[in-house]
Amino acid sequence: MSNEFNIKNIAKLASINLSKEEQDSLSNDLSIILEHVNALSDLKLHAQQQEIFIHPLEKELELQEDEVKKSLTHDEAISNAPESKDGKFVVPPSME
Amino acid sequence: MDVSNLSIREINSLFTKKELKPSELYSKVFENAANSEAALHAHLTLFEEENIKKAAESDKRFSSGKSASLLDGIPIAIKDNINIKNYKTTCSSKMLSNYTSPYDATVIEKLKEQNTLFTGKTNLDEFAMGSSTENSAFGLTKNPWNTDYVPGGSSGGSAASVGARSSIAALGSDTGGSIRQPASFCGLVGFKPTYGTVSRFGLVAFASSLDQIGPITKTVDDSRIIFSSISGEDNRDATSVINNQLDIPSDNTATIGVIKELMEDGISDEAKNEVNKVVEILKSKGYKVKEISIPIIKLSISIYYLIAPAECSANLARFDGVRYGLRVDGKTSYEMMENTRAEGFGAEVKRRILLGTYALSAGYYDEYYGKALQARKEMIDEFAKTFKDVDYLISPTTPTQAFKSGEKTSNPLEMYMSDLCTIPANLAGLPAISIPTGLSKDKLPLGVQIMSKPLSDNPLLDFSEIIEKEVQFDGQPKGWL
Amino acid sequence: MSLKPTIGIETHIELNTNTKMFCRCAVVDTDEPNISLCPTCIGLPGALPVPNKKAIQFITLLALSTGCEITSKGMFHRKNYFYPDLPKNYQISQFDLPVGLNGELEIVIDENKDYIQIERVHMEEDTGKSSHSGSGRIESATSTALDFNRSGVPLVEIVTKPVISSSKQAVAYIEELRQLSIDLNISEGRLEKGNLRFDANISVAPEDSTELGTKVEIKNMNSLRSLERAIDYEIQRQTKALEEGVEIVQETRHWDENKEITSTMRSKEGSADYRYFSDPDLPNMFLSEEFIKGVETLMPLLPKAQREELMTTGLSLSQSNILSKSEEWIKKLYVKIFDQTKDSVASYNWITGELQGQMRKANIEVLPEWFNEDYLSEIIELIKSDKISFTSAKIILTEILTTDTTPSKVAEQKNLFQENDSEKISEMISQIIKENKDIVERIKSGEDKLVGFLVGQLMKQSNGSVNPGMAKELLLKELED
Repeated sequence: MSNEFNIKNIAKLASINLSKEEQDSLSNDLSIILEHVNALSDLKLHAQQQEIFIHPLEKELELQEDEVKKSLTHDEAISNAPESKDGKFVVPPSME
Repeated sequence: MDVSNLSIREINSLFTKKELKPSELYSKVFENAANSEAALHAHLTLFEEENIKKAAESDKRFSSGKSASLLDGIPIAIKDNINIKNYKTTCSSKMLSNYTSPYDATVIEKLKEQNTLFTGKTNLDEFAMGSSTENSAFGLTKNPWNTDYVPGGSSGGSAASVGARSSIAALGSDTGGSIRQPASFCGLVGFKPTYGTVSRFGLVAFASSLDQIGPITKTVDDSRIIFSSISGEDNRDATSVINNQLDIPSDNTATIGVIKELMEDGISDEAKNEVNKVVEILKSKGYKVKEISIPIIKLSISIYYLIAPAECSANLARFDGVRYGLRVDGKTSYEMMENTRAEGFGAEVKRRILLGTYALSAGYYDEYYGKALQARKEMIDEFAKTFKDVDYLISPTTPTQAFKSGEKTSNPLEMYMSDLCTIPANLAGLPAISIPTGLSKDKLPLGVQIMSKPLSDNPLLDFSEIIEKEVQFDGQPKGWL
Repeated sequence: MSLKPTIGIETHIELNTNTKMFCRCAVVDTDEPNISLCPTCIGLPGALPVPNKKAIQFITLLALSTGCEITSKGMFHRKNYFYPDLPKNYQISQFDLPVGLNGELEIVIDENKDYIQIERVHMEEDTGKSSHSGSGRIESATSTALDFNRSGVPLVEIVTKPVISSSKQAVAYIEELRQLSIDLNISEGRLEKGNLRFDANISVAPEDSTELGTKVEIKNMNSLRSLERAIDYEIQRQTKALEEGVEIVQETRHWDENKEITSTMRSKEGSADYRYFSDPDLPNMFLSEEFIKGVETLMPLLPKAQREELMTTGLSLSQSNILSKSEEWIKKLYVKIFDQTKDSVASYNWITGELQGQMRKANIEVLPEWFNEDYLSEIIELIKSDKISFTSAKIILTEILTTDTTPSKVAEQKNLFQENDSEKISEMISQIIKENKDIVERIKSGEDKLVGFLVGQLMKQSNGSVNPGMAKELLLKELED
């Protein structure tokens, strides 16, 4: 397996603004961990991806009836908002 | 006799006979917390005021003979990654230090129906990621047996709370051993039920396919009582299952397997000795014991440290400073989110998010995450095969006794290795329990782990109770009462 | 070098369920922000998704109606990307195991049928809505406000294969898909409300090339008109670039409704890597034969079959197509009137032309209570039996649309019944000829068009009650004599 990775790119995908020091130390940690998990590469595996169940007990999904259940009030939903205005959550500009 | 040392059934019997009031028990438990918190820091918050009121209501129910629940008036500590309405749920993270939950987890609803008291919220490794409770943004928790040592993790606060008798029992969550390992380190029973038997709704997700809520208690029977109260299919958790328990023997007609791979290098002699001790007891009682081999268990850490981080990388994406929790400003939404996550998450959480992000990223999925899924499936199949031959599997819970604070913080991989024995049960969805069996030469608790097939939780508890009775472990750390 | 465009379209249809895709919050149509929310659809810590049966039925229904193969063992994937209106920062979607695969949709352009291959039909959940304060681009926006009422509303995404070659085809495809969703009763199909949203992937390559050119994605087309214009513009832009030897960049472009151009969207740094993986909160979804049979019972007469049925009444393909895309009451009215009159063309013309035209003019949205549908047949019959003229019929229709009366009453009151008695008409003609001797002379000397003038005079004097056809015939005869 290949262990080359671009820590900046991964951090971008994960939306975490890493300092230079963090980039270095986390790169180092990740290399060590990835080296360990490489043990899997030697493994001869039989299970086909398509046969794998998501649920460890192979439970099948149950679908729920389309009936409204009351949940949070507006105030409850917005009570933890760092910033809000006129009933909306407010964030710095997100336009593309 | 100190009432906080009693089991739930013993306490309930005293309540019913009106020899003890819930309010008296609560006072005692709160006093214990007051005595130990400064040294142990098991709790992040204690709910004193509300509990005094609730204990008084329990008093009335018992005095009028109207209580119908074994858990009525029993003070239980709750790991701070389980939501209780109108209380903070911090997950020991700076990210959620100001977050108040507007809803109850299903397990909390169920315990409220039983009129349980919640002593408070307990400390944990941030977002349940760790094995020592050293990754908390709000300070370390210490082992009540010796404060130089860690209580284990991630449910270290829950274990320390029960250990110091600041609560009668506690709820933890277990993704790779986070209930069983701290229970073992603190001389307690820790039970991770079959995946899906306890609803995860309201448990802040770390790795959804592995997470399971369970009890940390002084006795197996206490775990049984709590398990029966919190389990059951929940229509708010699509992964929850109907708790249809299998009927397998717990008496000496049962066959026990000793897992060879968990009795080899990397496991301390002390830990092996505990397993051997229990095996001898079982043999003397007429149980058939045999060594079995599940080679893929050796790859548990590798499989786990791909699957758990991958799932967590998405599960923790919601912490972005938009709707709740910490916000660190930025010129754009994207900068704000990046700054918030940089500031809000600790090093271990970042490590796992980045590892998971990498394992799922374009070009690496197949060789990492995809491969781990396949290996996991193979492990599930191997366990299923093994359980055709044996009813229970026995191993150490942890490779060693508790380690000292700071001992493993600089080496993440070494820390991960301490979960070697507990991870397989999470990967395969099995019920698994840690039972305290003895003390190390450093006078720290050691335990053994018993696993059985999915949905055989009740027989597993029955079997564990037999071991508990035979071993006669004196499970009380000194100096806190 | 001759160039050909290739277009693929991705359409999102908002399903008209009562509740959201993964929680039971009501789907609401309101400007009041953040009033239909729960822990799941705002991504609170610990919340879990539970799928909506009706939504899965609707998606399966659409997949079946387009002839897709149904994936019996399906699953849900997490599509990971950070955006403030996406609460979990991943969208639950479907990746390699969508509900439906490899379908086809028949479309109609003028008098020709065409077939658009569908690659896949799958589930998605909608995001919240962002509104930006400040004007225009990010540089001038000061903040973004978020409303999560729409967050988690179920969507079905339909992806075509790259088989569309013109804007005309694209528009016909969307029109057909829209009508299908209305007839299946899975959506209101209102474009202006965003019930149907579409993006187009456009590339241009040499006519004889077997490979497609570089693909450009066009977003923000909010109407059929903008779809048509955007595609035409983009084909032109790419064709011109290729002819000038300029390389096409793979990118997402934004249709500017006012300027009528596409322009590069400000792309977020870093390439999109959605890190799809199976959602561990949602077990595999098995669509049993029983489930599919249940869905099939919901299948209405599809637009394609409606067209075939309409054509058997004698309508052309394009007429049938127009009717099949009309409102339900129009379709029903046609069938009824045709049944009564057996005259497809008259029925079609009166309903789609005169009736709808007059209603539009008079701003009438629904037929008035007193308006008996049989009146239309009556009118058609009156014309056919020469009892009234076409002009009179229009007057009658106007009258019965606004007043509680019947066609024959109107005809009577307004004296609109035609004179079909040739003797009476001849008498009147004699009179007219007497009164207009000079005109008659001029006709005889070759000014044929003045015949019309005389007919007009005749109509005037008879208050329009004379059958104009007969009148002309008799007049010509008279003039010849």
